[in-house]
Parts: sequence; C-alpha cells; structure tokens
Amino acid sequence: MFEYTFIQNALIAAIFISILCPSVGTFLVLKRYSMMGDTLSHASFAGVALGLVINRNPIICAFIFTSVCALLIEYLRNYYKKFSEIILVIVMTLSVGIAITLISTGKTKANVNSYLFGSILTVSKVDLYTMLALSIISVILICILFNKLLYITFDESGAEVAGINVNSVNYIFALLVGATISLSIRIMGILVISSMIAMPVATALQLNKGFKFTFFSSIVFGFIDIIVGLLISFYIDCAPGGTIAITSVLVLLSLLIFKKIKYA
Amino acid sequence: MIEIKNLSFSYTGDMPYIINDINLNISKGTYTSIIGKNGSCKSTLVKLILKLLKPCKGSINIGTNKIGYVPQRMDTFNSQFPITVNEILKCHMHILKIKNKDIIDKSLDSIGMLDFKNHLIGNLSGGQQQKIFIARALMGEPELLILDEPSTGVDIKSQNEIYSFIKELNINKQITVISVEHNMEAALKNSSHIIKMQDAKALLYDVSDYRKIINTNALSEKGLHPKNCKQS
Repeated sequence: MFEYTFIQNALIAAIFISILCPSVGTFLVLKRYSMMGDTLSHASFAGVALGLVINRNPIICAFIFTSVCALLIEYLRNYYKKFSEIILVIVMTLSVGIAITLISTGKTKANVNSYLFGSILTVSKVDLYTMLALSIISVILICILFNKLLYITFDESGAEVAGINVNSVNYIFALLVGATISLSIRIMGILVISSMIAMPVATALQLNKGFKFTFFSSIVFGFIDIIVGLLISFYIDCAPGGTIAITSVLVLLSLLIFKKIKYA
Repeated sequence: MIEIKNLSFSYTGDMPYIINDINLNISKGTYTSIIGKNGSCKSTLVKLILKLLKPCKGSINIGTNKIGYVPQRMDTFNSQFPITVNEILKCHMHILKIKNKDIIDKSLDSIGMLDFKNHLIGNLSGGQQQKIFIARALMGEPELLILDEPSTGVDIKSQNEIYSFIKELNINKQITVISVEHNMEAALKNSSHIIKMQDAKALLYDVSDYRKIINTNALSEKGLHPKNCKQS
C-alpha cells in the first residue's frame, strides 16, 4: 500500500496532525476548554464552505475563518468570565449558520463530504505544502511559548504576577488551535477533529505522570490512533475520520482495562 | 513600600464601589495581615496591589518589582493537573530568566521540601502544596511577599511551620509580607500591622493597638468596660 502516492501524502499529513493536535490538546484539556476544538471545527466547516463557493483553497479559507473565530472566543472570554461555555455556543451558532447557508445554495464547487468525514484520497501536494508550512510555524510557536503556556494553564493569575503577558499568549494560542484544526480537516474530517485533540490527552492523563511526560505521551497516543485508523480505513475502504475516532476510544479503553487488571 | 491613594474599585466599574476611597501606607520590612469578614474584599485588595485588577479610581505605587505571590490554594489548584513539583519550579525559573539551576533545590530545601521534588503536586497534602507555592514565590528573591490565605486547607502542624517560616523571612531577610488572613490567631501572633477591611473601607493598625481594641470590645460585650474595671 505504501507505493501509492495518496497513501504517502496521507501518512505525511498524519504525522503533522499527530504532533499538533495532542500538543494544543494538552493545554486545551487542562484548561478545561476541550470543547473549543469542537467549536472551531464547526468554524472550519464555514471556512471550507466559503472556500468551495469562491473557488479558493479550502484549507487556507478554513484557517482564516477558524483563526478569526478563535480570536473572537478569546475576546469574548473577558465578557463571559464565569460562563465561558456559552461563548463556544455563540461561535458555533455563527459558524454552522454560515456553513449551512453557503452549502445549501448549491454553489460549492467540490464534494463537501470529504471535508466532513475526512479522506485519504484527496490530500494533494498543495495541501501537503500548506500543512507543512502551518505545522512548522505552529511547532516553533509551541516550543517558544511552552513554559508560558504551561504557567498560564496551571496558574493564570500567578503567571500574570510573574510578568507573562497572559492576554497576548492566549490570543497566539487561539490562533494555534485555529491553525491545527484547519490543517487537520483533510484527513480527520470536520466532525471528528475534536476527538484527535482530546482523546490522546485523555489517554495520556491516565498514566498519572508529570506534564512533559503527559505532553509527549499524548503525541505518541495520537500517532498510534491516527496511523492505525488510517490503515484500517484503507483496508476497509471507508472515511478515515471514523476509524481514527474509534481507534482513539479503543486505545483509551485498552489502557483503562490494563490499569484495572494491573492494580486489581 | 506600598502607597495606596484614594483607591476605589467595583467589578462593574460603576458605583457602588466595593472598595471605596482607601488610603494606605505599608512600610518596608513590615508583616501586614489583611483581615475582615467573608466578602469584605480582602482578596480583591490583594489582586489590586498585584495589578491583576485595575482600580476604578486612585493609584497604587509599589516600591519594588520583585514580588512573590502565593495564591489562594483552592483558587489556583486543580489536583488532577499532571505536573511535578520540579516542573512547577522549573517553569517559574524560565519565566523569571533565572540562570542558576541550583535555585530549585535551594528553595525547596529552605522550606524542607527537597525530598518531594519529583512528586506530582496533586499527590501532596494541603500543607505540602502550600510550601511548594511559597518556595516558588521565593525563587525570584522577592522584596515583597504576598500570600492569599496561606493556611486554608492546611493542617495545624503545617500551619505553624508555614507561619514561622514566613515570620523568619520577614525578620531575617527583611522581606515585606502582606497576608490575607481568615486565621485571626495567626494574624495577631505574627503580624506587625493589621489592615481591617469593613464596609468598603480599610484601616491600618499597629498590631499592639489592634490587640487593645479587641480586648476593649471583648470586655464591652461582657459589660465590663475597661474604665469601669478595677485592677486587682
């Protein structure tokens, strides 16, 4: 199977996703903000729909629209400090409204389904280069901001007193989440991106180790989920989004059962 | 060290202010406890001093940038957070751009927590966690140490250890201490000054004066006004 170009493209894309999704996911989950991934995946849907209607690169359009929504979420956080979940509902409503309106006009010039459920056939060279560029920028930003993100996630007021510009870092992180989601939609599909953000972290948290160990093991679990999911999708000829999501749940369940047996 | 002039604050930005026209002067090297009933804005005053909140009116001038902060444990802390003591302190070290790597061991050792360096913070007791946050606050060699209810959720033995450690820092290293306190006994025992928050106002007392006020009030409640008491 590895002789096929589309499989090679899909695997390279999968490596990017397996690094980025759990990386931003670790901070999101520990901030108790994992549903942000779900909201922004809906925002990326609106971006894709816009790209397909105006005949521009859907991933770039998704990145722009998702980033705007991510910044909007961060901005609204100051207005709904005690009800942060409602911000996600506001942004999701806007995004789904735009997406449904655009798609139902029938002017989209490609198949929307491949973006909804993911596809290993449709990752083109252009997509790959776009993903490569976004991934490199995102990984560099995560490396630079790692300690600041960790401090803010663990103790936001302490971080501010220590001299971190918490607002700026939060805005940059929101953009990172937007970038991660928009570059993952090709393989994962809009409907299950959030599972790739939260599930590897949920599995890694079960190991009860320190932050760095949790961070890197969530990347390892993400890699396992996505590669196994892709291979299964190739052999049973279905959309990879579903098989990756199921694999991620099975990996978590396996770990829970292993722990249960080990500590019984 | 800290000069507070005509400070007013409300969370909405409008009147009525929950802190109304406060003037305070906290001197260098003092140990000041902020006391008051629940909801009297003790923590709000501290957050204003730390610039975590913006005043609606007035100003706060602090004579140093070297501030150590020990947040209220219940406020900050998610016991499921996967982080070791070493990671917490290392992260703080990077943010403060401290080059000396021995500082982590030194800070932990100073408060008797070196053996817990590689433990997950969530696996420690309330008192041990509080000591870690104090060790973190000391890494930047602060001139001003601000603590928000340091004894909340901490057993009596650890409380005593923590207070005597803070007192020692105040006396031996001349670190100015401001501590939000619900523990009146600790406030009276350790502080040099008391700030009493009541009805959106704050009054600063020398601790010996405040003890006299308490004694007078206690006697009054029993109908034994000091002036009417005969000395035996």
